[in-house]
Amino acid sequence: MQVGIEAMNVFGGTAFLDVGRLAEHRRLDTTRFENLLMKEKTVALPCEDAITFGVNAARPIVDALSDAERDRIELLITCSESGIDFGKSMSTYIHHYLKLNRNCRLFEIKQACYSGTAGFQMAVSFILSQASPGAKALVVATDISRMIAVSGGEALTEDWSFAEPSSGAGAVAMLVGEEPEVFQVDVGANGYYGYEVMDTCRPVADSEAGDADLSLLSYLDCCENAFLEYRRRVRDAHYRESFQYLTFHTPFGGMVKGAHRTMMRKMAGATPREIEDDFQQRVTPGMSYCQRVGNIMGGTVFMSLAGTIDRGDYTDGPRRIGCFSYGSGCCSEFYSGVVTREGQEKQRQFNIVGELDRRWTMSMQEYDAMLRDNEVVRFGTRNVSLQQHWDLVASKRTSERPHLYLRQIREFHREYEWTE
Amino acid sequence: MNKQRIIEIVGAHAAEVLPNLADHRFADDDRLQDLGANSVDRAEILNMVLDSLSLAIPRVELFGPRNIGELADLLLRKLQSA
Repeated sequence: MQVGIEAMNVFGGTAFLDVGRLAEHRRLDTTRFENLLMKEKTVALPCEDAITFGVNAARPIVDALSDAERDRIELLITCSESGIDFGKSMSTYIHHYLKLNRNCRLFEIKQACYSGTAGFQMAVSFILSQASPGAKALVVATDISRMIAVSGGEALTEDWSFAEPSSGAGAVAMLVGEEPEVFQVDVGANGYYGYEVMDTCRPVADSEAGDADLSLLSYLDCCENAFLEYRRRVRDAHYRESFQYLTFHTPFGGMVKGAHRTMMRKMAGATPREIEDDFQQRVTPGMSYCQRVGNIMGGTVFMSLAGTIDRGDYTDGPRRIGCFSYGSGCCSEFYSGVVTREGQEKQRQFNIVGELDRRWTMSMQEYDAMLRDNEVVRFGTRNVSLQQHWDLVASKRTSERPHLYLRQIREFHREYEWTE
Repeated sequence: MNKQRIIEIVGAHAAEVLPNLADHRFADDDRLQDLGANSVDRAEILNMVLDSLSLAIPRVELFGPRNIGELADLLLRKLQSA
């Protein structure tokens, strides 16, 4: 039987920042900044949290379904490291605001930036199990970064300066089922690889800590070992020949470029010229949205997949895409699937790029003020009104789609409202 | 293989990644970060060094050294136990 993505949408937020200007503003060493291939990043506004991002990503998918189809969503997994409660899963709020059937499993998965893949693979397994034939699963990978760095200690923050320009906010929603028009999974073609390492983490609420060097080394180790395991399971798989496109978990473009270079040298014995051509051909389509939104952690590898589907060339027939997912801590996976021209046409209906174009450009002054304002919606906030922010966003936004924003928190309960 | 030779190998690859270091004389207490290498550059240099030394170890085992001298000491130990 077939399984995979029936529909997928990315929500890249309401406001964004020019990352080059941010680097200048922070007086980062910009001499080699261009090599990092960062352009823009989405900023989470005070009235946005991982729930609003998730709902706003999923709603166009749900709206496109018939009532009967929507009622077959029997599994809703949120994948995140930006949860708002140790016990209550964000999936409960998302389920409510999407008005889904109550006969549905609701829970959340965490493993840093691997969470989206973890949730996706669980959904795929649920469909393949045929425990409920015809059922669908909604996987929502959603994360934000509040950019309140843990202050340096003995082992932390050696070179943490890229964290701010690279950390974005966003969500990817995917409908997984038996009619995978958009991305048909290669069943059983999975190389997973994980071990304990303390590279980057969120050890306290709302903050991140870690070491960029260790994380990068671990990412490269996993890139290699996950693919070797994939190749052990998929006979004759070849890094250069078997996949017409590659999508990567993309903390920032420069990191992906480094990983691709290493893999092409090791797995395919390619020359620097060949590597550069291959990068342009197979990897850059997947970086298009990532470079505009920044790292959205759990959803990043799927944002890269969405870019590959929208920007790739499928006119001459189906194309196989290799996907590499990495989450600090760590767990990783290399897997693959097939995309067709029909799938691309269906996917493009969500007009992801058009919605990204509608975000408003934030000035450095607005951004600095926003960081201060974010103090009011820290993890564990009991009561707060965001009416002013809600009104401001409702007046400034230009998207024609209805969007959900946080209006207030009352006795820990979050209350959201649609813009129309 | 000795420590000085490893420092030369690290220096040669650092200069490949950062051409402005072509005339630099690398010493024990040089730090790649201070020489202009960002985290992506540093990982690339380590990759090249591992290849040159034909050392097949997880890259995360090379985490920790604070300068090129310490990195060379660590690599030498890994070579001896390989």
